[in-house]
Amino acid sequence: MRLGKRGLRDIGLVAAALTIFVAPTFPAHAQEAVTRDDIIKRLSGLEATPDLNVAALRQRALERVKSKADAVPLKRPPIAAELLELPRFMVEVQFDPDASTIRPESYQTLGRIADALCHSTLLRYGFLIVGRTDATGKREYNLTLSQKRADSIRDALVNTFKISSKRLQAVGLGEEQLQDAARPATAINQQVQVVTVAKPL
Amino acid sequence: MVRSRSILLMLALAAPSLAWAETMSFGDAAAILAKSCGKDIDANCRGVNFDSSRLKDCLSRNQDVVSAQCKADYARSFDAIQKRIAARAAVPKTCERDIVKLCGGDRKEIAKAVECLLAASGVSAKCNQAIGDAGYR
Repeated sequence: MRLGKRGLRDIGLVAAALTIFVAPTFPAHAQEAVTRDDIIKRLSGLEATPDLNVAALRQRALERVKSKADAVPLKRPPIAAELLELPRFMVEVQFDPDASTIRPESYQTLGRIADALCHSTLLRYGFLIVGRTDATGKREYNLTLSQKRADSIRDALVNTFKISSKRLQAVGLGEEQLQDAARPATAINQQVQVVTVAKPL
Repeated sequence: MVRSRSILLMLALAAPSLAWAETMSFGDAAAILAKSCGKDIDANCRGVNFDSSRLKDCLSRNQDVVSAQCKADYARSFDAIQKRIAARAAVPKTCERDIVKLCGGDRKEIAKAVECLLAASGVSAKCNQAIGDAGYR
């Protein structure tokens, strides 16, 4: 990877995994945004395009919610374990409460994701934005909200930063893909993930 | 001797500027918008998502009430984002000759061409600058 001066300075500042947080509450302060080069590093290295059908994945999550299967969050397996095999990152994106409006505190993060997706290293890849929630509230509501929030992120990347819509898909998995099932209400479960899912386009 | 030294000096001065992007990163441009206009967006553009044209419309509609800081910065931020997008769109044309000469290339497959140009030596200054401005580097 070729890095500019900025990149060299930024390296090593952030070690967090890349998942986009879908936090429901107001932050007291703007968080330190993940760096572009950290995002690039985490999303690189997909060896082969996985056999992934996003519409089917959406359906699978909906069916599990409707059938009330895996009712106990503590024992709920991830609905899409296959995503855990792919290059991905988790990052916090703040939204207005119970809405899909991205808060200004997260504009910089969105900009940095756009910067990463435009870098030559990632230019030929496609990505899936995965919205998630913690396990408080109603499962079906959470599923819908996380889809709307994932769509918002995708729309911002496409409309504001002109990332090709062909490279971006969005899915909401609500509380069906808990990051930390042992602590169903913890904020980390609200993170959105960006997953590398296609190469080369 | 004097001449060669002055040539070296010229090269030293010129080399870094070739790599300096004249555009701002999306992250920095978005950070300016959030910092200068975050409160104004909350107060006047509630529910407007992070969509540059809708946000810009909302802020300009509310010119009379937004803070001086926001008024001074929002157009600059959106312009910076636009400039970066335009820089990306300009690469195939600006680098056309380099792509043909160095990468045997099809400029329609821009991702491949950019990878090749970044690895190639002898890329023109103009093309090199365009690649940096686009944020490919």
